[in-house]
Amino acid sequence: MTGAALGLLLAFLVLAGPWLARHDPHDMSFRPLSPPSSEHWLGVNDGGMDLFSELLHGIRNTVIFGLLTGMTALVIGVVIGLVSAWFGGVPDHFLMRLAEILLAIPAVMILILVAAFFRPSPLILSLILAALSWPTSAKAIRAQALVVKEGVHIQAARQMGASGAYIIARHLMPELFPLYLISFAAKARMAMFMEASLSFLGLFDPTRKSLGMMISYALKYYYLEIWWNWLIPPILCLTLLIMAVTFLAVSLEKVFDPRLKEAW
Amino acid sequence: MLAYVLAALVMMYVSYSVPRWLPGDFVTAMYSSSHVTLNAEQEAELRAYYTERPGFGRYLVDLFTLNWGYSFAFLTPISELIGEALPWSLLLLGTAHLLSMILGFLAGVEAAWRRGGLVEKAGVGSMTILEGIPEIGTAVILLLIFALHLGWLPAAGGETAYVEHSTGQWILDVMGHVALPLATLCLAYFPGNFLLTRGSMVMVLKEQFIDTARAKGLPPARIRYAHAARNALLPMVTRFGLRIAFMVTGALVVETIYAYPGLGTLLFNAISMRDLPLIQGIVLFSSLVVLFVNLALEFAYGWIDPRVKHAF
Repeated sequence: MTGAALGLLLAFLVLAGPWLARHDPHDMSFRPLSPPSSEHWLGVNDGGMDLFSELLHGIRNTVIFGLLTGMTALVIGVVIGLVSAWFGGVPDHFLMRLAEILLAIPAVMILILVAAFFRPSPLILSLILAALSWPTSAKAIRAQALVVKEGVHIQAARQMGASGAYIIARHLMPELFPLYLISFAAKARMAMFMEASLSFLGLFDPTRKSLGMMISYALKYYYLEIWWNWLIPPILCLTLLIMAVTFLAVSLEKVFDPRLKEAW
Repeated sequence: MLAYVLAALVMMYVSYSVPRWLPGDFVTAMYSSSHVTLNAEQEAELRAYYTERPGFGRYLVDLFTLNWGYSFAFLTPISELIGEALPWSLLLLGTAHLLSMILGFLAGVEAAWRRGGLVEKAGVGSMTILEGIPEIGTAVILLLIFALHLGWLPAAGGETAYVEHSTGQWILDVMGHVALPLATLCLAYFPGNFLLTRGSMVMVLKEQFIDTARAKGLPPARIRYAHAARNALLPMVTRFGLRIAFMVTGALVVETIYAYPGLGTLLFNAISMRDLPLIQGIVLFSSLVVLFVNLALEFAYGWIDPRVKHAF
């Protein structure tokens, strides 16, 4: 419930962000470090940019990065999980060994290396992160698909001559739907956290507005009176964002995993 | 086991080839964006040096003989820089994981035992909220309150510089400096361990062998720990293995915020100075450490739960 409310608020900020922002976040024509005023709700940063507009664009970028990564990782995970479960044998063996290797590799390290050396666009980084983080979804989906595959209704469909493609599309995929939501939420949360951390470390294009980057810049001026208007807002937004997705993931698991419901 | 060895090889190969995928030749790619300006003679020598030993095999030999090259920014061997930073990171991360695992486990076991009570409900609620707060937020808020506002603890560094201390004073000084980053990391790791242990304990407590133990008239503490809790230990260790790569990211940020002299801060400095060889060295080294920890956990499973051993 709380998760949903927070999620709605943030979704509004993301969608309406460009209209709510009263200045271009790249406009550097304001008086640097001026305190909040009616013109600049959160004041102006050291580079003369409006902080409120920067914040709105930052949230937008973080959320888009998270959703895109979550979506891509989910699609790869679903395809590989289903292929693995349906065909079994050699493809299954190969894909699951591949998943184990990828699971062992710390994704953040590859991202840091690639970001530092090639300075790719956020889109490329998001795709790399997705390409490294599908194994957990694929494994969960494969395990559940193996259970569903043995179900009586699938046997019946087969007896009636349904093709593999038909069964996968009409039976397996819809029945695994709850798993998609859970793994999407988990991946999106991880990706938003990564985006904030990597931009905090300065690995993204510095002209791209981001919550992590705002925090990193604001910390350089911690001895000034900028705590309430510069440092706390991006931290608060990031925390609310991650919290909303976490709550969403937890409540989804509670709804769809009856074993867990009992534990709560 | 094999997966980890392969993963380690993949990491080494990626780290070997990334500079070679950059446009231009290796030397231009590595030195063009650094502070170092090479004269023609040095450039020719470096080029000769790198064409003389280009292979992946040679790279592996260098790797295992700790011959990791030099940092541009610090003008020091990379192995030396990592060697200096490593003890600080180990102190911070090791203590944080140890504390949050032990405390999270004990609190989770006790909470499951007292399920339904007011304290337990409040605990679960607040831990779920805490679980959603990223390290970056906790770190800045603790820094603001305890270091900058109240001034109880130092805001940066691992020890007070340029001060002669006796051993006892030095230990206190180091403890004072580690306190805030440690608290941040514990707040980040504790809720997960607590919630997971509590969840698995609630399931275990429904098993029949718990009823048997109760029927035998065993003292409750013995049922809780000797009979039930052992079964709740494995999920926590598994979760640690799955999340370690994710947790490294958070630790990087926390070290940077407190300017703690560990590997995270070193990496941050390397990134801001575009010191590519140092970035490469730290990334490869920390990935191998993560892989090694995962491998060690694999062996720990068998020790925690003897049933796992029979599965192989």
